[in-house]
Amino acid sequence: MPQQATPLLEVSNIAKQVQGPEGELTLLEGIDFTLSRGESLAITGPSGSGKTTLLGLLAGLDTPTKGEIRLNSSAFSALSEDQRASQRGATCAFVFQEFHLVADMNVLENVMLPLELAGREKPAAIAKDWIERVGLSHRIRHFPATLSGGEQQRVALARAFAVQPRLLFADEPTGSLDHANGKRIIDLLFELNEHSGAALVLVTHDPQLASLCQHHLELHEGKIINKTFADKNLQDKSVIEKHIQKSSNT
Amino acid sequence: MSKLFRPWRDHSFQLLALALAIAAFALSAVIFLRAELEHRFSVSTAEALGGDLVLASSRTPEPEQLAQLAELRVSQIIDFSTVLVHDDTLLLVSARAVDKNYPLYGKIQLADNRFADEYTQEHGPAPGELWVADQVIDRLKISVGTALTVGNKSLKISAIIRQLPDQNAGFYSMNPRIVLNSADLAATGVMGPGTRIRQQTVVAAEHSSIARISLELDLNLRPDQTLETVDDAALRSMGPLRQLSLWANLAVLLISLLCGAAIYLATSQRVRRRAKLAGLLRSFGASRYQVMTRLLGWEFLAVLPAVIVGGALGIGLISGAMGSGNSNAATTIIAATPFEWLTALLAPLLLWLAFALPRLSALVRVPAIEVLRQREQGSLLSTNIELLAALSAPVLLAGLLTDSLGELGKVLGLIAALGVLLPALLWPLIKGLDLASARLSLPARLAIRRLSRRPALTLPLLVSLTLAMTVLTLAGQTGSELLKDWRTRLPSQAPNHFVLNLFDRDMPVFEQWLKQHEALAQPLYPVVRGRLSTINGVPVREAVTKEKKSSQRHLNRDLILTEASTLPASNQINSGQWHGITTVNASPTKPTQHEVSVEQEIANRLGLKLGDKLEFVTSRGMLSTTITSLREVDWNSFEPNFYFIFASNELANEDITWITSFWLPDGDGARLAELLHELPHITLLDVKTLLDKAQDIIAQASQASALLGALLMFSALLVLAAGLLGGQQQRGRDNALLRALGGQQQLIKRILWIEFLCLSGSAALGATIISLLALYPLNERLFQQGLSLSPWQALPLVLALIVTFCGLLASRKALQQPALSLLRSHSS
Ligand SMILES: Nc1ncnc2c1ncn2[C@@H]1O[C@H](COP(=O)(O)OP(=O)(O)O)[C@@H](O)[C@H]1O
Ligand SMILES: [Mg+2]
Repeated sequence: MPQQATPLLEVSNIAKQVQGPEGELTLLEGIDFTLSRGESLAITGPSGSGKTTLLGLLAGLDTPTKGEIRLNSSAFSALSEDQRASQRGATCAFVFQEFHLVADMNVLENVMLPLELAGREKPAAIAKDWIERVGLSHRIRHFPATLSGGEQQRVALARAFAVQPRLLFADEPTGSLDHANGKRIIDLLFELNEHSGAALVLVTHDPQLASLCQHHLELHEGKIINKTFADKNLQDKSVIEKHIQKSSNT
Repeated sequence: MSKLFRPWRDHSFQLLALALAIAAFALSAVIFLRAELEHRFSVSTAEALGGDLVLASSRTPEPEQLAQLAELRVSQIIDFSTVLVHDDTLLLVSARAVDKNYPLYGKIQLADNRFADEYTQEHGPAPGELWVADQVIDRLKISVGTALTVGNKSLKISAIIRQLPDQNAGFYSMNPRIVLNSADLAATGVMGPGTRIRQQTVVAAEHSSIARISLELDLNLRPDQTLETVDDAALRSMGPLRQLSLWANLAVLLISLLCGAAIYLATSQRVRRRAKLAGLLRSFGASRYQVMTRLLGWEFLAVLPAVIVGGALGIGLISGAMGSGNSNAATTIIAATPFEWLTALLAPLLLWLAFALPRLSALVRVPAIEVLRQREQGSLLSTNIELLAALSAPVLLAGLLTDSLGELGKVLGLIAALGVLLPALLWPLIKGLDLASARLSLPARLAIRRLSRRPALTLPLLVSLTLAMTVLTLAGQTGSELLKDWRTRLPSQAPNHFVLNLFDRDMPVFEQWLKQHEALAQPLYPVVRGRLSTINGVPVREAVTKEKKSSQRHLNRDLILTEASTLPASNQINSGQWHGITTVNASPTKPTQHEVSVEQEIANRLGLKLGDKLEFVTSRGMLSTTITSLREVDWNSFEPNFYFIFASNELANEDITWITSFWLPDGDGARLAELLHELPHITLLDVKTLLDKAQDIIAQASQASALLGALLMFSALLVLAAGLLGGQQQRGRDNALLRALGGQQQLIKRILWIEFLCLSGSAALGATIISLLALYPLNERLFQQGLSLSPWQALPLVLALIVTFCGLLASRKALQQPALSLLRSHSS
């Protein structure tokens, strides 16, 4: 698949500070990177390193205290909450660790929900199509409570891809699943992602999973300690160094 | 001690405590209200009767009979007719001789002169004194202080009688009353062997001794004696009150059950949150007993203050409301027996036992494995015990509230009917909405799904809201209709005086006087006095069977006979035909025979039926007639009512006087004096206090039902709050998800609005339908009219808006849940 150089997500030197009981607390600092269409980025790091915080900022669920996030070349982080929500609805999709299906809605209704929110035509047909792709056509009228964890996450995948997002956020999508189910979900995620051409931001602490992505950010105590971006981002020093290292090794 | 307060930090516990307090409030209020009403009722009945037991006879009771009463408070009352003479004027009066114990109950209202304000007195006149009615003063043209001769004894008038506590309000005896001390009776010499007297031996005593004595006395009553106890009398007149207490019990039971539902929901929420802790304790090796004491031990003690505060407020309300009119609030507390105190305390605790304890006990059953479970559910399913407890609670509560099996059955039947009818009515509504929602806008669809997909919560909520709205609407509407009805029947210018003994020649003077004082006159009724002498040719004394002997007093008195061509508006024909309306072959206008229409109750008492021939003795001779109809009379109408109404012209040859009533604006008593001065022979009755009392009762009843409705509404809102509290987490998550998926805040707000509008709107619709269905027959019965729409029908809509507002208020937290929380929910 040809890489598109158009920057989709531009993150310039953002930081996040919160007021804790013992004064100001810095959760993130000096985060800086660019993600283009169709690219995939893995964010790794130990627990508490700020991965989820970063994801929340990228998806516009929260705003940085410093720096700027641009989505489609417009200042995403400067928008109001509702404006961010509608941008998000038009561009982004989510896969959560805890699935977060709506308990009162059956599989079909859950998958239709973001389509309806975005006001798409024929939401039911699109949803059915995606449910079929994740292999759950026979459970279309079932409610989340009657599905296994793996099945629920498949519904979540169908829900995420149904809106044909340009940017997909996944926060430890296998975190609540056993190994076998987790692997199936990951395979499905990458397979669907490849077809959709969406950019992917995957938070995980599984190095193997991270290695499936083109780019890699490693966080430690809110700072990037390792940034491995694939070749084209030449302005990025660490990547160049790595690249040089790599090529000198071969 | 701090353990006692710890549960109070939890919102669910606060809610539970509030629900218990409300239930305790309602239960204790109704229990004490009933105690108070019954007490008052028996006091007022006893007052009207003169005592708790009355042995009436035409001569002194047997010494053995008096001996049986020796230990008790007894008063002897002797009524007889006599003639007063003053300056050549003769006046027939009803005299009453009373002893020092009279009156056993109630107070006598006296005045110092003809138009002075009345004051109360707790005993009869002293020897040598005489109390007389206003009319005596008017007719004999005398004043207080004058000495009058009763028989051979001269007595000095020391006061004017306005009202005796046991004076019945009828028009049986139109002779003015006088009261003297029985010590003077012998000296008057009026008690010869032939004098007709009615002697009443009245007794005041405890309920239990009255029951025993009446049984003893009943064994050997003389033929001339009758026995009546306060229970007999109360039973007869307590019908409406019983009806009222049935509805009050039903409402309180519903309030309790709604509070029970709130308690159950709040407890479930508490238990769900603590299940992990229980599992953890178990995994650490804690025994069930240890789990129980740690997690449940203080729970029960912590709810006690709520029960006590609620109960105290309920009791306070009743004694306050009842005391305010009465000036001695303490009587309420005294009216309640220890059993009632115990019930007021136990009933709310029963609610806790039935709705909280079984759920709480689920904590003890939590297995250690719970700690390993990801999600909070599973092992905490409802059990049979919970179901059993929830079903038996209403039965036990109803048992505590009602005092007869019949009433218990009625209350439970009504509850069961509501429990089946309401869900059956409301659920299809919600399901239908769900089906129809496919064509509605997105927020509407999402909102309706939230309701239709959670029947376990939506249905109880809907049922309770519907009930509350229905009760409030019914209470409002029937209350206001009743008041309106009373007001139209008793407009502000309802007659407040009755005039008797008007003669034809008095009319110009009377009408002139009315005009001069802007008094409003009512129609005039002709009156002839007569005594019933034969029934179907048989003298009444023989005709009236032995068991009907108690009705003899009707026979010993002059009855008031009237004639009319049209049926009075407040009367209703039960059987037979009204005058002049006869069968086809008879002439339709002119009565073919001498017709009389008889009031149903007196007909029953005398054993009269249609077609019976009656003969009356009047001042002009004999009056023969045939019963052609039996009538029901509305005694509350404050119009003159008559036992016997003859066809028109039947009384043409008799000595006719007239009865009428009129409304006189508030003002100077001298106006009446003027009238009496010009027409000294008339009898003037002031019924203003009677009127005020009647309106008071209606106002209080509708206030009470409004209070019950408000409590019902409040408990329904508690159920709503408990449901929202329990579902708060899920709602918050759903809202956050909508935001994450690109939903605007506006959309989420709209969903909430629609959700609550649908919920409360469905309840309002249900309430409107039910109240219309209920009002139809109610209106027919109460007001002889079909459906009447009133502003009250809009009440459910107003309430629906209030509920929506409360729901939105309670959902604020869930509304504000940031989408970010979705990423972190596993840690919360
Ligand atoms: N609102 C907040 N206030 C204070 N501390 C926070 C807040 N949100 C996150 N943190 C802290 O920031 C750090 C990073 O959290 P998070 O992004 O969830 O880490 P990760 O997802 O990598 O495990 C953690 O130490 C967390 O406790
Ligand atoms: Mg995380």
